Amino acid sequence: MAKEDIKVDPMGLAFGKVMTIFTIIGIILMVAPAILYFMGQNQYIPLTKAMKYWDKPTVDFWKEVKGITVHGYDWIFKNLQYTDCQSMIGVLILMITPLLSMFAAIARAPNKVYAVLLLVASIEFILSMILKGAF
Amino acid sequence: MVDWWFWPLFLFIFTLLIGIISPVSGVGGGVLYVPLATVLTPFNVDFIRGAGLVMAVVSALSSVPYLLRVGLANIRLYAVIAPIMVITSVIGGMVGLWVSNAFPGGQHYVKLLLGIIILIVFVIMITSKRLEFPEVRDEDVDSWSRKLGIVGEWYEPSLERIVHYKIKNLPVGMAMFGVIGFIAGMFGLGAGWANVPLLNLVMGAPIKVATATSMLIITANAPAIGIYLSKGAVLPVVVVPSILGITIGARIGAKVAEIIRPAFVRWLVIGVLFLAGVLNIIKGLEGLGYLPHII
Repeated sequence: MAKEDIKVDPMGLAFGKVMTIFTIIGIILMVAPAILYFMGQNQYIPLTKAMKYWDKPTVDFWKEVKGITVHGYDWIFKNLQYTDCQSMIGVLILMITPLLSMFAAIARAPNKVYAVLLLVASIEFILSMILKGAF
Repeated sequence: MVDWWFWPLFLFIFTLLIGIISPVSGVGGGVLYVPLATVLTPFNVDFIRGAGLVMAVVSALSSVPYLLRVGLANIRLYAVIAPIMVITSVIGGMVGLWVSNAFPGGQHYVKLLLGIIILIVFVIMITSKRLEFPEVRDEDVDSWSRKLGIVGEWYEPSLERIVHYKIKNLPVGMAMFGVIGFIAGMFGLGAGWANVPLLNLVMGAPIKVATATSMLIITANAPAIGIYLSKGAVLPVVVVPSILGITIGARIGAKVAEIIRPAFVRWLVIGVLFLAGVLNIIKGLEGLGYLPHII
């Protein structure tokens, strides 16, 4: 039998297709604003100040650089006019890409067991993103 | 003292080199990046772990679609393992940040633990006998794998034929993946170092399937990125050059793999892991005051 004769799981193909699309989108959205950030455009975290404190744990870093305590995604969404926060949108898209891929796979699941397993993983994925702000 | 731009440039070159080594050695980027960047750069271990996790996930996201298309990555195995690893990797990420922030000198404990984990990986890599095509007889297949129909096939060029495979020890493997997810989330590692031996040696997946499915499983660690993002531990100055470096390096590495002996690079990586483990342990012990400042 030749290479073309292999049977590939349709569930996997659907998963992979969505993953390709959103990975490309995520990387572009992460890198493009970051280039502007490195060029000094609209910085929320000034690089010259950041380098004095980036050896400290996150809590101390944010206190020294911005005078705040970071909890949740507010520091990103409330400061979208700044290029470094815009760059984090790309990271967020990369983070949810496996979730979107799982949704696509559920639609092509061969039976209910796989649909339920992937649904459970998807729910855990969503809950973990929401719950993290409480810690 | 150097200007700020030196460090992103350093990270880009550093991750470019890791990216070249990774495809030929079978070791994911995160397991080399986190310990070495912790020692070689001024960034706090929190920022390094955050970038390491993003880097490991992006590397996996970039390669998984192709591996699924050629039949090497097994989506059915992923569907069983993902519900376990998603939750344990998030718990691991929380514990890692808690140790760093809640305890005085917490980051030194994290460095010490990271060094120990890396040395364990070093021992696993030296001792594990990778089996290209493990024999899984029908009677070896556990009832869970049988009921879920976890089988697969791919075209193997070296044999010039399609290879079919089955899986065994699924319940044991699921429990072990829970532990791996925790460690991966805690230290910002991609977990390929543990996934591959587990899939290959314990569950009987052929080595190529184990490597490819490991990349697929690594994508289940993605929610742990949220822990680092929500704590402000993902900074563009660390993560962006690292992602660019590993992405470009991995493409070069795929070409390099064709012309140099993978065994040489594998031993190189084993040496680097040993060095990284020892350096992290020394730095951790220094920070805790058990050793004088020597590095």
